[in-house]
Amino acid sequence: MLRITDISKTFFRHTANERVALNGVDLHLPEGDFTTVIGSNGAGKSTLLNVVAGYMRPDTGRVEIDGRLVNRLSDHQRAKYIGRVFQDPMAGTAPNLTIEQNLSIAHRRGQRRGLARGVSAPKRAFFQSQLETLELGLESRLKTKVGLLSGGQRQALSLLMATFTQPGILLLDEHTAALDPQRAALVTRLTREIVASHRLTTLMVTHNMEQALEVGNRLIMMHEGKIILDVAAHQKQSMTVADLLAEFERIKGASLEDRTLLS
Amino acid sequence: MIGAIELGLLYAIVALGVYLTFRVLNFPDLTVDGSFTSGAAVAGVIIINGGPALLASAAGFGAGLVAGLITGLLHTKAKINGLLAGILTMIALYSINLRIMGKSNLPMLRAETLFTPLREHKLLGTWMAVVILTIGALLVKLVLDWFLYTDKGLAIQATGDNELMIRSFGVNTHNTTILTLALSNGLVALAGSLVAQYQGFADIGMGIGLILVGLASVILGQAVFFGARHILLATLAVIIGSILYRVVIYFALKVGFDPNDMKLISAVLVVIALLIPQLPLFQNLKREFKKIFGHNRVPLEPAPAAEASGAGAPTTEPRAAEASATEPPAVEEVK
Repeated sequence: MLRITDISKTFFRHTANERVALNGVDLHLPEGDFTTVIGSNGAGKSTLLNVVAGYMRPDTGRVEIDGRLVNRLSDHQRAKYIGRVFQDPMAGTAPNLTIEQNLSIAHRRGQRRGLARGVSAPKRAFFQSQLETLELGLESRLKTKVGLLSGGQRQALSLLMATFTQPGILLLDEHTAALDPQRAALVTRLTREIVASHRLTTLMVTHNMEQALEVGNRLIMMHEGKIILDVAAHQKQSMTVADLLAEFERIKGASLEDRTLLS
Repeated sequence: MIGAIELGLLYAIVALGVYLTFRVLNFPDLTVDGSFTSGAAVAGVIIINGGPALLASAAGFGAGLVAGLITGLLHTKAKINGLLAGILTMIALYSINLRIMGKSNLPMLRAETLFTPLREHKLLGTWMAVVILTIGALLVKLVLDWFLYTDKGLAIQATGDNELMIRSFGVNTHNTTILTLALSNGLVALAGSLVAQYQGFADIGMGIGLILVGLASVILGQAVFFGARHILLATLAVIIGSILYRVVIYFALKVGFDPNDMKLISAVLVVIALLIPQLPLFQNLKREFKKIFGHNRVPLEPAPAAEASGAGAPTTEPRAAEASATEPPAVEEVK
């Protein structure tokens, strides 16, 4: 479903601040794959997501969605295939529009927007049934401005908006990081349910190793712009955070040794 | 006084255009100073050459569309800062407007305009004219309201509200920005052509400082309506703001200010309208207003409460709700 081949991205190239964010990354997600991505700050996780979403252009490499090369498509052109939830709960919704208006915008993902009424009665009924699945009571507040919702409610709404048109690929960029533990747990549970019910091919960046182990069927670890560990479902089930950390130290230590040997 | 209201209703169309860019798109567009005159110039030339007034007004609207399109292209495709893009078009239009008019003032006193029937029946300056112009202004308002609630209109609103979000749903924000700027300037230029017909001439300087007039109307109207963000109310507030502005100017002239002082008065008016909403007294009034009219009141309260308690949304998980319901008696027993 999603194939990334030899992607590299360097920021501030040819300056003193030059920083390699992605260094020859290869990744293939089959349809329905739910992969979590972990790694320290600056490992290239967010850049990877931005490159897939079309928000950033890679220096080299190919991004293919469903067998189609999408390198030349910009972010709004790829939106047809890709749903996205951002880290900032404010980023995924329009605060001055109502819940139903936001949903209506999301409902026309990737389609032409003409002069038809934005929110019609049949659509409203559909939105209500969709909001009920969140179990947040939002279905009775369709005319509330989204800016008045709490961070957790907005993030749950963003998740619904990103997925209910079944875009095929879902990108989650630390989407629970800005929430308190209880809300984070709620959004994580919703994520799991929604991904499972739509069989979305999902790439989820997280800082929380426990969460990375707990959800999804595959885990990759990034470091200095490379994928250094790729854990498949059967291994992942038995893994603990301590195992992950040990693995990280082992690989990092090895790469350090290589470097010291070479220098 | 009635003359002031008539002018206010004509300039309300300018204010609606400015509202579209300034409030909806969140884009401070200075093109309007130029496009207003363009509308007047194009309409004036057509009318003087015997063209029908309706066509002249439509052509004025078209001239504004093009002006807005150019500002939009400069801002989106050429990546020029929005303020600068507007100023560039505005300045360029000054020369273009002179070219269109051929001279700096274009009288059309004996020509047939949209207002000729009103003038012949001696309706101008009466309440009948006010009613007719009100209907016209409300018509423009309703079309704008309708447009902003369509799929396209929602995309435009979201472009001004959260560009990243609307792009992630497949909207090319360059296109929505250009379209909004074109429509806004179209409205402004339409108003320009109407004002020229109303006063019987087009003048190269008639658009100077117009952005301030538009802003004053938008801000004054929103101050009166306590910052109305709901579109149906906001567009109405803009029209009322425009009338208010003209009435204030009328009284300023009455108490002995010079017409040359009007720009200064406009500027001071905008500053006052921006300051008043920050006063404590006004905040209290706003709360009362919301209690009476607010759809916002109901959702306003539960959201912060749930946030502050940190206990999760009480309505969300039945288990959490049960727990909080059974807790208080338990605590009492311990005591």
